[in-house]
Amino acid sequence: MAETIREYLDTVQEQIRWKRARPVVVRELEQHLADQRDAFLEEGTTPETAERMAVEEMGDPVTVGTELDRVHRPTPQWGLLAAVIALALLGGVLRVWLTASAAEYYENVDPFRTAVALALGTACLVGAYLLDYTWLVRHAAGVYIGALVLGALSLWLAPNINGASYYTRYVVLLYPTVYAVWLYHCRGKGWKGFFLAILGGVPLAAVGLLAPYSTGVLLLLLTGFVLLLTAAGTDWFGVGRGKTAAAAAGTAAAFIGSVAWMFWKHGLFQHRLLMLQHPELEPMSGGYQAMTVRKALSVSQWLGQGNWNEATYELTVPDWNHDFLLTTVVYKLGWLPFLLLVLAVAGLLLWLLRKCLRQRNQAGRLVALSVILTLGLQVVFSVLLNLGYVLFSVSVPLVSGNLHMAVTMGLIGLTLSVFREDSVARMYGTAHQPVSRIKLSFQKEENVQNGSHVLGISLIISRNGTKAAEDSSLS
Amino acid sequence: MEIDKSLVSGSMALLVMKLLEDGDKYGYQMIEELKRRSDDTFHLKAGTLYPLLHGLEEKGLVTAYEGEAAAGKPRRYYHLTKAGSAALREKEESWNTYARAVGRVLKGGACFG
Repeated sequence: MAETIREYLDTVQEQIRWKRARPVVVRELEQHLADQRDAFLEEGTTPETAERMAVEEMGDPVTVGTELDRVHRPTPQWGLLAAVIALALLGGVLRVWLTASAAEYYENVDPFRTAVALALGTACLVGAYLLDYTWLVRHAAGVYIGALVLGALSLWLAPNINGASYYTRYVVLLYPTVYAVWLYHCRGKGWKGFFLAILGGVPLAAVGLLAPYSTGVLLLLLTGFVLLLTAAGTDWFGVGRGKTAAAAAGTAAAFIGSVAWMFWKHGLFQHRLLMLQHPELEPMSGGYQAMTVRKALSVSQWLGQGNWNEATYELTVPDWNHDFLLTTVVYKLGWLPFLLLVLAVAGLLLWLLRKCLRQRNQAGRLVALSVILTLGLQVVFSVLLNLGYVLFSVSVPLVSGNLHMAVTMGLIGLTLSVFREDSVARMYGTAHQPVSRIKLSFQKEENVQNGSHVLGISLIISRNGTKAAEDSSLS
Repeated sequence: MEIDKSLVSGSMALLVMKLLEDGDKYGYQMIEELKRRSDDTFHLKAGTLYPLLHGLEEKGLVTAYEGEAAAGKPRRYYHLTKAGSAALREKEESWNTYARAVGRVLKGGACFG
């Protein structure tokens, strides 16, 4: 039988099988035992007796530990893990199969490389799934600086392909999630936290601009501002919900407005819009991609290969084996397989979103939301792109691009780690905190000895549920 | 007076949630408060309370956060959520119905057709 608090806690811990849950669960018991011991000490017992009595008071450590073990278990995400691997496998098969015809032009997707990417992606998925994501949140500053260093290194060392640093784009894809971690770091720090949150996005966006990888910068900006507005909804910085929301919306509007104005001034915006509506005006330059894609779609069927009568499809449609892989699906397999594929990816993201919105842990919800938004925006942009609305160069998550798929799987793995660790993450005290409230109470007490009545008035100002001030007067 | 354990265990969640109705508390406070309010009838062991609280948290009926108790000691405070309040009302209602029925039977006034 445990005699000391340490012995007692050790026995409780041994019963909890999930090692990560042990320290956080036991901390609360330790605080309780300390309170109980102090109470006995005040009654005049010796320290040894006080500790022994406190331990006795708490109950059998094995029973307590077993009960706690039952509550604190990781929540396995088998269904989602299987769905992600199945979709990645489908994407890999489609990539290899649909591009096999172009082996003679060296435009086919290498089966061996795809197999390696699938293995790497699955390792990233499972690795991130088993990772303690709360570690990232607890070491937010380090994660943020590490991500910036990684970005800088990739800019410096990575090969330059088509005028862009090749690997930097994959680092930039991680940045919305890095930003979510940074945002968590700024929590509860007042206006200083708000400005830090805004400023923190600048170096991340700068790496994207230097790559240059405009789609990545756009994903970061859109996701970042949505996360900021979501955070405002829970009075993230402690300056009031309305004020945070107004400041976040104001910053977003000012930022997006100024960027749009810059594009407008240089005529880039108008050109993009014109090309979106009338690609035929520049059939051999700005409108070429949209023209060829729309032509391919116009000859496609519901099921089966379309009737392309001109030069070889593979040599005409640009990037048909990567960014325009969905167009290739429509042309070579038909509209129905395309719709099913897009629905499958969208279904997976909605499944993730549903679970994310049910998260009560704020850090976890923020991390999961950053991934879902990044992937969701890519799906929207890539579907538009593949339907002939050429806005940005973008890959379809899990379907196109080998390395892109591996990075996507790693990000989804992180989201699944959030769902898996829901139970223990809450124990870190990151759950919703109620707002301040003031309570005025009147209490009538009867003094038994002299029969007089005493009226007590107490004013309790509590912030986040704990008593901050108490004032009482008697009459 | 010692009370039969089986009488208490089923209604413990109800009592714990009721304690949180008028303000957030940490575990030790809840045990003390329960003792006080029940004239020492309910001596809830901490070893029973914490698994119970964590279970309620899992179901979303309470949430917890780190707060400061007296002398700046960090303590884990529990807060009754909206879902928790609704569950409490429901549990209270069914408890009252049950208690009234038991009362009537014990008094011998109940009539079973």
